[in-house]
Amino acid sequence: MGERRVTNRALVRHLLLPTVFLTVALLGGVRVAAETGALLFVAPPLVSLVMAMMLVSLFVRGGSVRVGSWLTAERGALENVSHALTLGALFFASAQAFNSVLPDAGLLRWMLSFFLLWTLWQNQFSYFDPRRLLRSLAALFGTAFFLKHVLLASVYAPGGGWLKRLAGAALEGVTLGTLEGRSYAPATGYISFFTLALYVGGLLLLPPAPEDDDPPRAATRTRTPVELEGEAEGERLLSD
Amino acid sequence: MRDRLIQSAGVAWTLLYALFVVWLYAAAPQSVGEVATQASVAAGTYEVDRARFDAGRGLFLREQYAAARDEWARADPARRDALTQFYVAYSFYRQGWGRVYNDDALFRQGLEAAERAAALTAGAPFTVEDPELKIRTPSELKAELQSGLERTAEDFNPLKVLRERK
Repeated sequence: MGERRVTNRALVRHLLLPTVFLTVALLGGVRVAAETGALLFVAPPLVSLVMAMMLVSLFVRGGSVRVGSWLTAERGALENVSHALTLGALFFASAQAFNSVLPDAGLLRWMLSFFLLWTLWQNQFSYFDPRRLLRSLAALFGTAFFLKHVLLASVYAPGGGWLKRLAGAALEGVTLGTLEGRSYAPATGYISFFTLALYVGGLLLLPPAPEDDDPPRAATRTRTPVELEGEAEGERLLSD
Repeated sequence: MRDRLIQSAGVAWTLLYALFVVWLYAAAPQSVGEVATQASVAAGTYEVDRARFDAGRGLFLREQYAAARDEWARADPARRDALTQFYVAYSFYRQGWGRVYNDDALFRQGLEAAERAAALTAGAPFTVEDPELKIRTPSELKAELQSGLERTAEDFNPLKVLRERK
């Protein structure tokens, strides 16, 4: 039983997780053109790479990924290479998850990028445990997904969706030129939804350190005294 | 032992999959069918559909040039076959050729196809042995199309109407 458990954990770490994260990296940039139905592959823009870097840093700070345990001189070279590839896949999956929920052009792209960057920057200074971090990320991606694939898709829809007609009625005579963007087929939204679900699923499977393999909800790293003090302060403020 | 096997398989699989993802973004196929075509090009197993090519040649000889090009587009979807691209260029030449003036738009498309054919045969000499054609190499065809696109004093020579289509 114990041996099977060890084997399954190794399979998850070395095969399943890279597959999940690389699939997210593949699908995150896929769009379907509305007019022709042709597939379009959008490489991750620079801003989504920056966001991914900040997110990975958040994973490390929040204890979701203990890099020192994933990559250590105590492991064999092959295991370290495999772990490095898994972490690399996590980085590119994060970049493509952002790419998937960011509008491809226009003013709204920059506004949403700014809000995401601001949120990630603010979070760098907050105290997270893996469970809270995962919940926060699910909310962040969920909101961005809703903005892009529900609200903006309606604005960009050929012929004008319900939101464009509503905005047109409310802002009669005011141009919506800054909202113009490329319209995609509804399949793009489904692909993005699947991609984000897969990404969050991958994060749930990702153990903070290879040896303990505890799911994120149970895993916590040892807090530094400064962090413990900060958490206690936060709880005091909340109770007040 | 089992651990090492899983680790090796993991590294190999991850690298292969990552390469596939990078290739997909570089090749940017527009449909699932095109993914298969581009994959066969990358693997070196790409082949032209001979039956469709011959059907296109039949249409070409009957002067149904647009239909012929449609067949050749299906025969060589990746545009990787020099012979097919040569015939495509030739069909544009014959369709665009005029006794008084040439159709520049068709000649330009022909020139693009001839350049593709020339690029695909850059490594070795290439001659088309077809008795129905008077031009036999992509370079000659390119030169013919380019001269057809140029504006010279010769264009105003009334004897030009006596020239023959190749």
